[in-house]
Amino acid sequence: MNAALLRRAGGSHLRPYLSAARLSFRRQFAYPAATFWGLTTNLFFGALRVAVLLALFGTRPQVAGYTPADAVTYTGLTQAFLSAFSLFGWYELMRTVHRGEVATELLRPHSFLGFWLAQDAGRAAAQFGLRGVTILALYGVFFGLKLPPGVEGWTLTLISAVLAWVCGFAFRFLVNCAAFWSPDAVGIGRFAWALMGLACGFLMPLAFFPGWFRTLLAWTPFPSMMNSTVEVWLGHAKGGEALGVLGVQAVWAAALLGLAQLVLARGLRRLEVAGG
Amino acid sequence: MDRQGGAPASPPHPGPIEREQKPPALWLPRLYLRLLGAQVRSQLVYRTAFALDALAAALVTGAEFAAFALVLPRFDSLGGWTLGEVALLYGLAELAFVLMDLVFGGFDAPNLSAHVRTGSFSTFLLRPVPLPVQIFGSDFALRRLTRVVLAAGIVAYGVSRVSVTWDAGDVLLLAGSVLGMIAFFGGLFVVGGTLTFWTVESVEAMNVLTYGGRTLISYPLNIYPAWLRRTFTYLIPAAFLSYFPVLHVLGRPLPDGLPSWAALLSPVVGPLILAAAFAFWRVGVRRYHGTGS
Repeated sequence: MNAALLRRAGGSHLRPYLSAARLSFRRQFAYPAATFWGLTTNLFFGALRVAVLLALFGTRPQVAGYTPADAVTYTGLTQAFLSAFSLFGWYELMRTVHRGEVATELLRPHSFLGFWLAQDAGRAAAQFGLRGVTILALYGVFFGLKLPPGVEGWTLTLISAVLAWVCGFAFRFLVNCAAFWSPDAVGIGRFAWALMGLACGFLMPLAFFPGWFRTLLAWTPFPSMMNSTVEVWLGHAKGGEALGVLGVQAVWAAALLGLAQLVLARGLRRLEVAGG
Repeated sequence: MDRQGGAPASPPHPGPIEREQKPPALWLPRLYLRLLGAQVRSQLVYRTAFALDALAAALVTGAEFAAFALVLPRFDSLGGWTLGEVALLYGLAELAFVLMDLVFGGFDAPNLSAHVRTGSFSTFLLRPVPLPVQIFGSDFALRRLTRVVLAAGIVAYGVSRVSVTWDAGDVLLLAGSVLGMIAFFGGLFVVGGTLTFWTVESVEAMNVLTYGGRTLISYPLNIYPAWLRRTFTYLIPAAFLSYFPVLHVLGRPLPDGLPSWAALLSPVVGPLILAAAFAFWRVGVRRYHGTGS
């Protein structure tokens, strides 16, 4: 096969995924009022978190490798990733299973997991563009924001952010798969999001936690879903160390996606769709 | 019940009309409890799901406070407040907020706007039962009881860790603080719910005041920038609810040279806000059009 043919074959193969991502991207712009108030709420909570962290620092110049400026940047970053990584819950897959809409999707001739991944990519990109970038800009104006060190820092941060999103997506997908087994999996979801909020470093930078707790978390995929990206952005992990962090994230991303595919196959085997 | 019996032209018949005008004592509280009972039974149908949901409800709060408690040893104190002292503030705010949510959940904008959108709110208006009783009894989430227990535990931890010789006055002051907070946040829920008569879409702006306000007063107000602390003292009187009472119990002076009796105002401030909120509610119900669904 020559290159042009290969490209065309690949292109037509990818087309449904690309249009799913594009549609999902555009859908995020449908409710400007909700976006505005979401931003306001996000900024208010962000300001409260900044106040708590700065009060904790007091006059200390540095704690656990974080300066007060690092801590402020940390809250800005986590607040900016909040909607893109959909940390406060995501029940869309669960809903389609409960309503039986999942049957229609299964008729489509492409990967179920891949299709949802594409949709979430569009959603996450739009949310980051709409809310994330705005929040980072406003943090830059009001509180001050440290930027990644140089081109290398930006590149590593970008890769790390994408990997964090993949890990988070696979985890959310897995949690939603509970709907195949339980008629009311919402409780499982709420439980999982609360655990994730603590363990991924959203509530506090993981560096501030006691050693035993960080050791425990190091065995889980949660730090790869946010904390790793913050550390790469702040330059706490750089050069070879940053590559190591990215490697761990990539391994977790692959493992979680594989697990999601496995659990999905199991779930689909026992799926019963009641009338429609 | 026959509502036409009381037509003005007919002379009063003592029997049936008397019965209609004077419903049995405690009719409304009993009705309210029956509404709650029906919801509790339905929520207990899927036992495992309920248990997980209840556990998750507590974990949301538990994780937030645990993150703070795990981190504090690295820093010694939060703006001069020990973990026990912060636990007292945090626990009181959480306890009051979750109790409020159990009582006022029906007024929360997402719930009420769903009733307005689907038209079931119009059905409420047809029934011969006072409207607020129906709303009060419409969203009782039993799973939140785990959060009540956890919040009470955090308060108990705070009480045991602060150096205060407790007397009856202190206990009354904190009980009044919780009651004031329940009324205050209940009032905010009623205002948020009322706004859905006009906007139909749920009112996200109110979240800044309700959930944002709860988070704000979970920590000592002296850690915030002066403008933020003053806004939530003099414009939105949230500082009177728990910050001032806790300062008083700890034997510390109030900020801005406020007199010490200002710490006793929580049971006044909260109900005032709630009364104003219900006045607004009555205006909203009078203007209510329905969505035609």
